[in-house]
Amino acid sequence: MGDSSDDEYLGTEWIPYSERAEWADIAPLAQDDGPNPVVSIAYSQKFREVFDFMRAIIAKGEKSQRALDLTTDALRLNPANYTVWQYRRDILRELKADLNVELDYLSEVIGQNSKNYQVWHHRRVIVEMLDDASNELELTENALINDGDAKNYHAWQHRQWAIRTFNLYDSELSFVDRLIGEDQRNNSAWNQRFFVIKHLGFNPNLVDQELIYAMNRIRIIKNNESAWNYLVGVIRQSPYGNGLLNNHPAVVEFAEELYQAGNRSPYLMAFLIDLYQEQTMQNECSDREQKARKVYDICDDMASKHDVIRRKYWQYVANHLKDQLNKSSEKANQ
Amino acid sequence: MSYHIDMEDNSTEPEPVLLSKHAKNLLRFLNMLPARMASHDNTRSTIVFFAVCGLDVLNSLNLVPPKMRQDIIDWIYGGLVVPRDNEKRCGGFMGCRAMVPLTENSEVLECMRKYQWGHLAMTYTSIAVLVTLGDDLSRLDRKSIVDGVAAVQRPEGSFSACIDGSEDDMRFVYCAATICHMLDYWGDVDKEAMFQFIEKSLRYDYGFSQELEGEAHGGTTFCALAALQLSGQLDRLHAATLERIKRWLIFRQVDGFQGRPNKPVDTCYSFWIGASLCILNGFELTDYAKNREYILSTQDTLVGGFAKWPQATPDPFHTYLGLCGLAFTGEPGLSAVMPSLNMSMAAYVHLQHLHEVWRSKSNEGKEDHDLTLSSAVQQLKLVEDGEAKATTATTSTSPLISAQ
Repeated sequence: MGDSSDDEYLGTEWIPYSERAEWADIAPLAQDDGPNPVVSIAYSQKFREVFDFMRAIIAKGEKSQRALDLTTDALRLNPANYTVWQYRRDILRELKADLNVELDYLSEVIGQNSKNYQVWHHRRVIVEMLDDASNELELTENALINDGDAKNYHAWQHRQWAIRTFNLYDSELSFVDRLIGEDQRNNSAWNQRFFVIKHLGFNPNLVDQELIYAMNRIRIIKNNESAWNYLVGVIRQSPYGNGLLNNHPAVVEFAEELYQAGNRSPYLMAFLIDLYQEQTMQNECSDREQKARKVYDICDDMASKHDVIRRKYWQYVANHLKDQLNKSSEKANQ
Repeated sequence: MSYHIDMEDNSTEPEPVLLSKHAKNLLRFLNMLPARMASHDNTRSTIVFFAVCGLDVLNSLNLVPPKMRQDIIDWIYGGLVVPRDNEKRCGGFMGCRAMVPLTENSEVLECMRKYQWGHLAMTYTSIAVLVTLGDDLSRLDRKSIVDGVAAVQRPEGSFSACIDGSEDDMRFVYCAATICHMLDYWGDVDKEAMFQFIEKSLRYDYGFSQELEGEAHGGTTFCALAALQLSGQLDRLHAATLERIKRWLIFRQVDGFQGRPNKPVDTCYSFWIGASLCILNGFELTDYAKNREYILSTQDTLVGGFAKWPQATPDPFHTYLGLCGLAFTGEPGLSAVMPSLNMSMAAYVHLQHLHEVWRSKSNEGKEDHDLTLSSAVQQLKLVEDGEAKATTATTSTSPLISAQ
């Protein structure tokens, strides 16, 4: 829960609304918190006054330049007040205001409140009203790169929305590649990569290209869940290979080589467990027991050595396979 | 006081949960919040929720004096918005009073109505607080509220928070499901569209995103799974899919839990991920000791409360969710938590009792299925036990809670 430190925005030369000549016609309207309120906030004098005037203006239905300025003050004090944001939009519509000015204002506000839902929503509505998303890639790039949080959920969500709505896919893959290059563990960037690739369509060449991309990244950092999830995700979602790990021999070979070279990353091990489990269930062949044995052995290794925190889970995975095999052999004997 | 296990002197034991300090910490928030929390003005009812439900999980609701209990209930009901027939369907609870003017002037009051809307998250937390305090919800017009929920459903199945000016995403899908489940009435809510939206938000790594192709996230995965369970649609996902979701969740454990791959651990995910795994009957596959150890590393031993990270400032959100996370591991002194509604099992039992009463009333009412009328009938008849739930058992055979 963050603090609202309004002074840094409002400066020290604050003139109360009650002392402003241009507001003399407005009688402030206090908040009715009921006779015995709970979770009362000890509002600052400034907060109380600004919202008293805000209520008075809303009650009056006044949609003017000074009302717009008042919402600016109110939203600096509490950027989470969604009703004031809505009233601000009502004013902008009424005044037929220059929405590019609003975008500039918002870029500043988002810079200060990059994890606030309401500011991003307001941005989205204004962009829709303008029907122009030409600033959105730069805005979100700033939030993700210059502001230092490359995993900011709001910024990615807004970026995806703008790309999807205004068909801005063209240079997204290179942007994503740059972010993955800067931090290979940036799961948000991997997710964005999936979003773009899915839009381009899973043709065989693209799928192979993406599998190679992920394998190359894993070669650099083997213990990276994001890259492994991407690798497996592409295999499972693409129509080529029926979503089966086993139908991608290059990946199978890659994983088995890593294992033979002594790597015991839990994500590699999980991949092998899934692979051998898949082979066990798919195969009608005679080495079924042998394949299942491999699953049990790796699960044991995980539980006892490489992924002890998930020991109960890996035992569960092994037992789950045993159950499935028992069921299918019962069926076969019937 | 029996819950003072934190005072026991036993150095071989693991670090104790400072139950009474947490209770006092939460109690403070019910009174007065400092000016620096003014940016939480719009979500005051969520703070009531964390404090009241937290005290409940601590078995310490007795620390809330009867008058204050009544004040809380009255304040919550004071945020109820009941639209007239000619108004937008904006029924539900407001989480604050920012749009309620102190005036006798009926014209002013009338004008402000245009900007008074129920908000799904505030409606959910308000009803949960009422249930937790043993209220019988008889002052609610259930149809009006569920009409408000249906009115904010988007064609693609998602929900906004309120009738105007809100984004729509998985958080409000969850809130919609909790409200309808708690009121035992789904009205015009389109469960099928809701399911489609949730299913579309399942990502390639088998976590759920906030919307569509966003990144999978622990909080939104909880919202998605709980909404599916509360709407009776969890079994529409294939068994293999559920296993993969379970894998994604299990992989979030580092010591405590993280919300996304390669992100730092945070106390609140002991709830979001823990509750998700409870819903999938997989919580017992986690490492309880490591989870507990992390949560306790974020405990403020001086003023009580939990923070997201060790040495960080505690807050009601992390305090409540930390307590729930501990409750899933069977921590002594804490009562059981109903994962998908995120309230105590005792409160849930009280809610189930209300459902039974409503159902028998509506059966008695012959062909009368008008909820508005039946709630008026309840208002007359059910003035009885506000304290009923305090005596109800804390265990349940409900399929909604997994064995722990």
